[in-house]
Amino acid sequence: MPAAVASQWRDRQRRVFQSVFPTDVAQPTSQSTPSTVFPGPGHPFGGPAASLLGQQQQQQYHGQSPRHPPGEQQQHPLFRKAPEPPLQTAPAQPLFPPAAADDQAAYDRAWYVVTAHIALPPSATADDSFGTTTTTTTPLAPESQQQEQQQLSSGRRRDRAATTAASSSSPGSSEFHDAFALLANASALLPHATRTGDVLAWHARQVRAHFAQHVIPLLGGCVDDDGGDEVESGNDSEEEEQGRGRWQAGRKGNYYERHMVIVMSSIRTLEAAVRLYFYGLSQLLSGFARLADVAPGAAMDAELLNARFRRDLHALVSGSVSEGLIRSVKAVLVRLAGTILGIPSHDDHGGLAARPGPPGPDDLKVQAARERLIELVQQLHNVGLAGERFQALFAEVMDAMMSEFVMGAYAGLWSAPDTRSFSATMDTVSRGASLSVASPCIVSLNDWVENHFARLSFEVLACIASNSHGPLPVSLADLKTYQSLALGRLAALRIQELFDIVLAWPASRPALDDLRATITTAARRKQLTNSFSRALQTRLLHPGCSTLEILQTYISIIRTLHALDPSKVLLSRVEPGLRLYLCQREDAVRVVVAGLLASPEEMRAARKVKEVWKRQREKSRQDEPSHGGKHRKKDPSPFTTPGPSSTRTPQPRGALRDVTPEMETTPSKDTRRAAATKLVELALLLPNDPSSQPPTRRGTTAATSSSADHDPDHLDWSDMTWLPDPIDAAAGYKRPRSEDVIGTLLSALGSGSGDVFIKEFAAVLAERLLLVRGEPAARFEQELRVLELLKRRFGEASLQACDVMIRDVVDSRRVDGVVSRRGKAAGVTPGGGEGMEYHARILSRLFWPGLEREHFLLPGVVVEQQARYETGYEGLKSRRKLTWLNQLGQARVEIELSDRTVTVDCSPVEATVVYAFQGGDDEGGDGAVQKSVEELYERLQMDEDLITAALQFWAGRGVLRRIANSNNTYMVAETLTEPSTAAAAATAPGAAADQPMEAEPEPEPAAAAGSKQGVPAKERERRDMYWRYIQGMLTNASASMPLAQVAMMMKMLIADGFPWSNEELQDFLGEKVAEGEMEVVGGKYRLVRK
Amino acid sequence: MSFAEDSQNSAPGSVPANKLGGARKGAEPGLNAAKRLQTELMQLMTSPAPGVSAFPSADGNLLSWRATIEGPDDTPYSGLTFKLSFEFPSNYPYAPPTVLFRTPIYHPNVDFSGRICLDILKDKWTAAYNIQTVLLSLQSLLGEPNNASPLNGEAAELWDKDPALFKTKVMDRHKDVEDD
Repeated sequence: MPAAVASQWRDRQRRVFQSVFPTDVAQPTSQSTPSTVFPGPGHPFGGPAASLLGQQQQQQYHGQSPRHPPGEQQQHPLFRKAPEPPLQTAPAQPLFPPAAADDQAAYDRAWYVVTAHIALPPSATADDSFGTTTTTTTPLAPESQQQEQQQLSSGRRRDRAATTAASSSSPGSSEFHDAFALLANASALLPHATRTGDVLAWHARQVRAHFAQHVIPLLGGCVDDDGGDEVESGNDSEEEEQGRGRWQAGRKGNYYERHMVIVMSSIRTLEAAVRLYFYGLSQLLSGFARLADVAPGAAMDAELLNARFRRDLHALVSGSVSEGLIRSVKAVLVRLAGTILGIPSHDDHGGLAARPGPPGPDDLKVQAARERLIELVQQLHNVGLAGERFQALFAEVMDAMMSEFVMGAYAGLWSAPDTRSFSATMDTVSRGASLSVASPCIVSLNDWVENHFARLSFEVLACIASNSHGPLPVSLADLKTYQSLALGRLAALRIQELFDIVLAWPASRPALDDLRATITTAARRKQLTNSFSRALQTRLLHPGCSTLEILQTYISIIRTLHALDPSKVLLSRVEPGLRLYLCQREDAVRVVVAGLLASPEEMRAARKVKEVWKRQREKSRQDEPSHGGKHRKKDPSPFTTPGPSSTRTPQPRGALRDVTPEMETTPSKDTRRAAATKLVELALLLPNDPSSQPPTRRGTTAATSSSADHDPDHLDWSDMTWLPDPIDAAAGYKRPRSEDVIGTLLSALGSGSGDVFIKEFAAVLAERLLLVRGEPAARFEQELRVLELLKRRFGEASLQACDVMIRDVVDSRRVDGVVSRRGKAAGVTPGGGEGMEYHARILSRLFWPGLEREHFLLPGVVVEQQARYETGYEGLKSRRKLTWLNQLGQARVEIELSDRTVTVDCSPVEATVVYAFQGGDDEGGDGAVQKSVEELYERLQMDEDLITAALQFWAGRGVLRRIANSNNTYMVAETLTEPSTAAAAATAPGAAADQPMEAEPEPEPAAAAGSKQGVPAKERERRDMYWRYIQGMLTNASASMPLAQVAMMMKMLIADGFPWSNEELQDFLGEKVAEGEMEVVGGKYRLVRK
Repeated sequence: MSFAEDSQNSAPGSVPANKLGGARKGAEPGLNAAKRLQTELMQLMTSPAPGVSAFPSADGNLLSWRATIEGPDDTPYSGLTFKLSFEFPSNYPYAPPTVLFRTPIYHPNVDFSGRICLDILKDKWTAAYNIQTVLLSLQSLLGEPNNASPLNGEAAELWDKDPALFKTKVMDRHKDVEDD
């Protein structure tokens, strides 16, 4: 059996060859018959040359074969090929025994018949055969297409092809089946044919080649031709939005349509090709089917083959999809899914899209889009485009849709979106499960995810699911995942918006509900605090914001974050930066104190303003849609989520306004301004402050002071709302019990011993206590309450001075009553000579801040009163003396002028100055009384600055008038008209200024930093003190120092802080140098030695 | 009476606090000293006494001060200025500062390295003293030395015996120190 051995050996050799060099599948039948697939030595195998050759021969073949029906042609290839190289190259051929040769020939013949039958049309110019001629495809059978195409090559072919195509029972068809039976059952029927092949594999190869050569260019043509210019703009599809916007402007928004055309034409092309390929396969399969009856052993499972072929084909198709097509599919998907999910696309309304919202159940547009999408997906699936790539694309699109929806539907919308979303079916599976306390936004979002998002995913994925019996493409667990994803997006959105939420408190409460429900992990909490701290830095903590605004925002932050997280851990995370910044604001303490002590009128005004805001807000909510539209316009792209608080420029006031545009339109601007100058929120909060209320039950014990809080055993065992401490709580964390806005604020400002705070409080308190109130029954209730609050926080001892101050005022009121009664009893005419009432307050010098004595001479009448009062007092309290502080207090002055009477409440200084104009020294009487500053200075011994200020005060009241040609001479304005009629005024010289009806100059300290005349004195005092510091420094520490070191030392050493900047200090030192006190040597300052 | 009440009230809170805060205890006096010194500085600046001044040293350490005393009139030291250094312990004012003359001085109660023999800087110290009182005491010490316990026996002798020689010794010894 040497021949058999040789043939076996050769067969093996051939297989090895084939495995290394796959046979050129493009070769026509004759060349790829088993006898010739094995090229001899020196013959080129399947390289480029071979395929070129194959192509030529292919054409040659096609030029010929149609002329001959396959039946007549059966000898042809052998005739033609027999003398040709394939046979020569098989030198072992003659060695075959005759039977083997016959079998082999029969096999080759059958091979030819079968392959010719299922050969694909070459269609080098096949643009018309299938593909773009989408209109003709569906009704035509594959055969007819083939035939149609072959018509081009030969007219004669037509009738014959028609008969071939007509039915499978035609002679050609039966011949095919006979031949196929031979091939398929070769081992049985043709046992000696050694070189056999797999016709199915051949078909697969030919399909692959055909697809590569013809279909792919066609597909490229689809994208290029139809998408033409679009492809260019599609190239930057990553920054799609800009391109899109531009294109939309120019091209009237047929973006989607053009992409749809691309997709559809590609699908048609592929459909036609796939039909063509499956025709061949079906022929083969029908052969197997017939065979099944005859030789069950040779038959193969049609189902399996079909599936395998389909799988291969789909892999081929999806592996060769061009980027352009993907882009188009994506565009189409975005559009359709957007419509279905209720996310308006941007080209609908010229870029002005409405807020997304879940579509209603009976929206025709949505239904149409849904059907269209399902159909499209089905088609894509059929042609094999719905592979992994498509699924990834779909997932990407859905992901973007979710972000888009959350961003669009809920950005800036904190309460329930319109009722539309609730009218939608609410039969959610998840309802009542874990979201029983969910906020409206969460409910509607979950609803949307379930009824729209998951539904769409389900439908699409069900379409492309490989087998319909497998698990559901979208399970309930998936739905939960989607929902939690959506909630995550919502959380991110809310985190980004948190600063605005804080500003809009309490209208933004629902948004906090969203956050509370979604901030579930420590990571998210961290993200929240980080993002919020950043927002604070850019939007609040910079010089553009007034301290008042910062504090107001701080209050909102406290309340918001407390509402968000009652454990206050979040707050404590955010706070440090804020506190640090507030420490730089010198006036922060003053603002807080003033706010705490705000008067009831101010509180009323604030309440009114709040109501106006509320009304405005409601109104603005009604026209929310337009607002929303405007807001949406700013949103750049559906696929780019704006960075964390990125789009908003860090303009504090602008930002603040941005959020509450109503503020600008508030009609009662005056009340607003009044409210805006003080932190009245604190006064409003005060009555509710937990620490100012007696502890009613254990839970509400004052959070700040009671020692029970420090007691670790103090646990309320019956507290059903107890939660463990948050995971990110710091060590030593102590659970606060209440919102405690004031407490938090105080601890922020009075960190440490609270000295600064107490000092400021004392100053403000002093100022307020000395204001003479209209109602004498003022009991200083508010002051007392604030004092109590502070005492709890800072301890009794540190606030002792304030206690004394209040007691002083109350006591002196009593003393005052007694003194004046005694005076009356003693027979002294009450109110002195001119009906003047005089009251005094007795202050304990040690305890009042800022008691400076300003020297000047009071009017004689007042001095008289003082003396009388003094005796009265010394009679009452023996061995005590009064020291009068003339500049403090208040005077009511009634001035009778020739044409009017003016009553003014003013400071004693001002009263004294105007009293000096009283017609005591009407020399000449030729006009109203005139005084210059110098005269007044001599007479009153008052500081010139004070005199000038007082004169200006009276000039402002229209009582005095500056004489035109002199700088600092004033005269009494007897009449309101111009003093042309000087004579008229002169007629009543006595009535010039008959003033002090009631004057109550009171020796006390108003000298809080605010009071007008106190400032220069205080400032001067401060400069003197700094100068002494500098002197001491340069005398002792070092003889000469550079500016920076001086500034450093001052900052370090002055307990109250050194507020000057280096520049201010330099100016100050410069003055001293100019005065000859200092000198600069080598950039260092030193004292001049005297 | 009121004191007793106070201590009763604070007892429950303060005792555990002390127990807990044992570690911090060491740091607190230093802080208190710094605070006290800051306050004293403020007092010195707002109500300066004639002829004396003091200020923390240029390195910014509040516990180390430099002071200046002008020699009082009618004493051998008239017209001279003396620099001193103050080093405060961390438990100031419960312990006295260490005071040295940096300017060489010829004085019965000051030795040649500037150490001073003054009772209030040693066993008579109380927390009621402060820098200003110390400086004023030193200033008066210049005019009225305590010759009973001299550090400089020669000076103590000369003070009574030969004021003229004493004066020249003072002038010889004195020389202005520059900053280090």
